[in-house]
Amino acid sequence: MTTTDRTHRNLRIASIALLIVGWELAARALDSMFVPSFVETAAAFCRIVSTRPFWHAIGISHQAFVIGFGCALIAGTLLGLAMGRWRAVEAICDPYVNVLLATPISAVIPVIILAVGLNLPARALVVFLFAIAVIVVNTRAGLKTIEPALIDMARGFGATELQMWRTILIPGALPAMMAGCYLGLGRALTGMIAVELLLVAVGIGRMILDCQGMFAADMLYATVVFVAGEAVLLLSAVRWLEHRITPWNDQVAIE
Amino acid sequence: MITVRHVDKAFPARNGNAATLALHGVNLTIDTDEFVSVVGPSGCGKTTLLRMIAGLVLPDAGAIAIDGRPVTGPGPDRAVVFQQFSLLPWATVADNIAFGLELRGMPRDERLAIADDQIHAMGLRGFERHYPRQLSGGMQQRVGLARALAVNPAILLMDEPFASVDAQTRRTLQEDLRTLAERTRKTIVFVTHDIDEAVRLADRVVLLSPRPGQVVESLPVGLSRPRPEDLDQEPAAIQLKAYLWRQLRGMQQATSPKSRP
Repeated sequence: MTTTDRTHRNLRIASIALLIVGWELAARALDSMFVPSFVETAAAFCRIVSTRPFWHAIGISHQAFVIGFGCALIAGTLLGLAMGRWRAVEAICDPYVNVLLATPISAVIPVIILAVGLNLPARALVVFLFAIAVIVVNTRAGLKTIEPALIDMARGFGATELQMWRTILIPGALPAMMAGCYLGLGRALTGMIAVELLLVAVGIGRMILDCQGMFAADMLYATVVFVAGEAVLLLSAVRWLEHRITPWNDQVAIE
Repeated sequence: MITVRHVDKAFPARNGNAATLALHGVNLTIDTDEFVSVVGPSGCGKTTLLRMIAGLVLPDAGAIAIDGRPVTGPGPDRAVVFQQFSLLPWATVADNIAFGLELRGMPRDERLAIADDQIHAMGLRGFERHYPRQLSGGMQQRVGLARALAVNPAILLMDEPFASVDAQTRRTLQEDLRTLAERTRKTIVFVTHDIDEAVRLADRVVLLSPRPGQVVESLPVGLSRPRPEDLDQEPAAIQLKAYLWRQLRGMQQATSPKSRP
């Protein structure tokens, strides 16, 4: 770790510490039962993570998340690759991708619930729709930004279509595909909570609504902190994976 | 032997621009083991001509053949060195050099052994595990050249390969290429916009006209092999360069709207 790296890390830690201290002081000054202090939230956090219903709720929510995001990742990547490589596929799919990208998916949730029902497939579909568009557009952009000269070079050495995919197109698109995965993951988590808060009251969304209804502010905050913490952890994991599988991206040039 | 017969090539209309005829009625014969430079005003289609010999694009009319066999696509007898180096950013120097062999299905240890010979020959020792962006432009083009040579092609096609490296590095690369040409006896087609470079390297300089490009003249450089150390002292080279300058300037004035009375 270089000195600047260390400085940046210290700044990050200082920033988080400042937030916690500020929160604690503000909550004490307000002295409201609806705004718990950091210490109260932390205590509630420790309490809820040791209960079975909490983990049960987490499990229910994540069924939809894993199915929806997994399908979005597979379908989005395949569709993005096909759209980036073949003009005809792009012409056919582009309108739908644009609609998905532009429409606030929350507005579509009632439509899905009406059509599919208040069940797991419906929730998974919402997660899927939240995540897929950014995965498609990033994967496509990854293919389109590959230098044409690289493709010429491989053709010049007699690459077959399969070799072209394996040696040029997939590795070339990989950084953008990882970016799409990163953004899609964030959106999938949003979709997972949104559907539970808005229509299908199960899982974590149900817990949040229950805490709100019982004015259990400390539990509410603890649940929200858990969700935020999970998102940060998952996104960091994707970042870490990105550095692992695309090491050429962060190699520092030595000139 | 490369034969280019009555070749036309046009680029289709795009984004409101009319179709352009890049090359028209090009005739050119390049002997085996010959080192030919192709020069001409910018946009004259010299790169297109090279890409057609490589088989990356096909002529609209006419024919290109190598030792009598028509060119219908890229082939193992030819390798291209590109101006933008075209190295795989995600592969190390060694894997980049071995790339052409990888596409031909050679096992990894075999192709890395060949790459290792090239690394040695190109003075890239110690950089095997580096990624391209960690190298200077000159080093990157050494990798590009090594990758082309690794497949042991009979014909080396070079598209302004030294245009984007600094002047000092360019001179070293030119000297190395000249040495290589004399040692390995390959047919080399070298596209450049640099007259000094064309004369310095080639046995013969082919001059193309402005678009649509045609072969205007084919001028033997007339210097002994191996090349004399200091080309600036050779009357033959000085005269040829001066002549090419005059020709090119004439072409540019004829096509530039400003010079019209």
